[in-house]
Amino acid sequence: MIDTTSAAVDQAAGLLPAGLRDVLPPRAGFEAAVTERLLAGFARQGYRRVKPPLIEFEDTLLAGAGKGLTSQMFRLMDPVSQRMMGLRTDTTPQVARIAATRLQNEPRPLRLSYAGQVLRVRGSQLRPERQFAQVGVELIGSAALTADAEVVLLAAEELVGLGVTDLSIDLTHPRLVPAVCAGLGMDPVHAEESRKALDRKDAVGLREVAGQDAALLIKLMQSAGPAEYAIHALDRLDLPGEAAFLVRELSELVVAIKAVAPALQVTVDPSEFRGFEYQTGICFALFAKGVRGELGRGGRYTAEAATGSAEPATGFTLYLDSLMRALPTAEPGPSVYLPYGTRRDEAVDLRADGWTTIQGLEPVPDTLAEARRLNCTHLFTGVRVEPV
Amino acid sequence: MAANEPLILALPKGRILDEVLPLLKQAGIEPEAEFDDPKSRKLRFRTNHDNLEIIRVRSFDVATFVAFGAAQIGVAGNDVLMEFDYPEIHAPLDLKIGYCRLSVAEPAELVAKDDPTRWSHVRVATKYPHVAQTHFARRGVQAECIKLNGAIELAPLLGLCRRIVDLVSTGATLKANGLVEVEVIAEVSSRLVVNRAALKTRPREVGGFIERCQAVLDAA
Repeated sequence: MIDTTSAAVDQAAGLLPAGLRDVLPPRAGFEAAVTERLLAGFARQGYRRVKPPLIEFEDTLLAGAGKGLTSQMFRLMDPVSQRMMGLRTDTTPQVARIAATRLQNEPRPLRLSYAGQVLRVRGSQLRPERQFAQVGVELIGSAALTADAEVVLLAAEELVGLGVTDLSIDLTHPRLVPAVCAGLGMDPVHAEESRKALDRKDAVGLREVAGQDAALLIKLMQSAGPAEYAIHALDRLDLPGEAAFLVRELSELVVAIKAVAPALQVTVDPSEFRGFEYQTGICFALFAKGVRGELGRGGRYTAEAATGSAEPATGFTLYLDSLMRALPTAEPGPSVYLPYGTRRDEAVDLRADGWTTIQGLEPVPDTLAEARRLNCTHLFTGVRVEPV
Repeated sequence: MAANEPLILALPKGRILDEVLPLLKQAGIEPEAEFDDPKSRKLRFRTNHDNLEIIRVRSFDVATFVAFGAAQIGVAGNDVLMEFDYPEIHAPLDLKIGYCRLSVAEPAELVAKDDPTRWSHVRVATKYPHVAQTHFARRGVQAECIKLNGAIELAPLLGLCRRIVDLVSTGATLKANGLVEVEVIAEVSSRLVVNRAALKTRPREVGGFIERCQAVLDAA
């Protein structure tokens, strides 16, 4: 039997802990370029970058929307303050904290963007990575529907701009199912069980837990689909009080999105809930056809801080690992081999013309063969650049 | 991925397949002739619809293919769904076929003298370690599961362990091996399952398929 736990063997082969990986060229460079493009796009619409630390005190990370990932946090003791610190599992709570504290006097709405790595104790089935990059925005201090529309459209615009084909946006309202259950007078235990069954679109389970109330909930489940169809189906359901209001909110957002981006595929799924537990209003998940899992997700939340302040906020986070799977593979750009002895000013001129230069460090007998060996696409002959 | 990429329907080999095919036929879906040829080495089959292909895999693998989006649609028993608990699988329809139950069984002579309230630890042989563990944990019993892939009934007979967790339909196999069903963990039937992302990105195609199956079930 091979002893796969032997530390010596692992070290020799460069084994990394589960869920962690080395990103190599050209992917690492491409991922950085995608990140920069996204941030530049966000900046053009007024989202200014913030850069919170990778580690901070556990309690500030777990305030507000951060609660959902408590069990996913790597923790370590700060030898200096003797307090527990956590590695961020998500960046949104940090941005909310920044908005509530250091940027409390900035005018609202406050538009902020971020990019950075997050760490989680366990990967999920679809994302085994324990470390991955998030790029996103937060729009803090506005409860208007136009704010929801702005972030959805911003996400769509930037993703399409990057070359994501067949983008699909799935809208949901995590308060809808609880509102329906409350309207039906269900007790909290059955309401919770029903919500879980609905989340899995499990009609059988739903009938078991919801009894006579199942009929309406199943209709709610079946109304998921393309936005026009779903809104129409939801409108026809006789939903109790608050639920009807929430459906109107969803329908207004669909209209607002379609007015600007009529070609964008939008679906509505009133029973989605997982991962939106701490969201307080319309939420969305971003998908691309043929790409496993979500490219990102976002939605409305209350930006609470440990100081007790609370503001309406919305935003989204893109997961770079999924996003990279949705983008066409990056072709390595052209590069030119400069044989040993090429003059410095010639090299500078070539770079000014946009070439990537690979400098020969020693004289070689066959410069053409050397250029090929180093995967250069071109060779500088001393006079001109020739393809190899 | 091309826009006209066909949908992949994953079907489980064996017992359930014979019950699924008539349902599909009623929904107007028929696999190519080679599907019925037991000598065929093919794993992926065309159907009478250009945008639908069928793959035939082990029942547990149906869930895995669908969870990861390699197949967009599938047919799987809730026993398999419970075992994997994949969040990316939606199970919108009960196909009302493949009925059986997931049960705990033990040798008849053990039943007579056993007092389950005294258990703190049991050892069970099963294809469903996750379901078994969750089931026993709920009543405060730690279950040490021995994962087998078939012939589970042999385990108590040969002293591998005393109890098993397995599918029971008529109970004939249990009886033939001197075992008695002592507890039902779940009633099982086959479900139509779909990949969550496929439902969002191809809502018309996948939704249309669900509706077609629903119509067949309603007519039955």
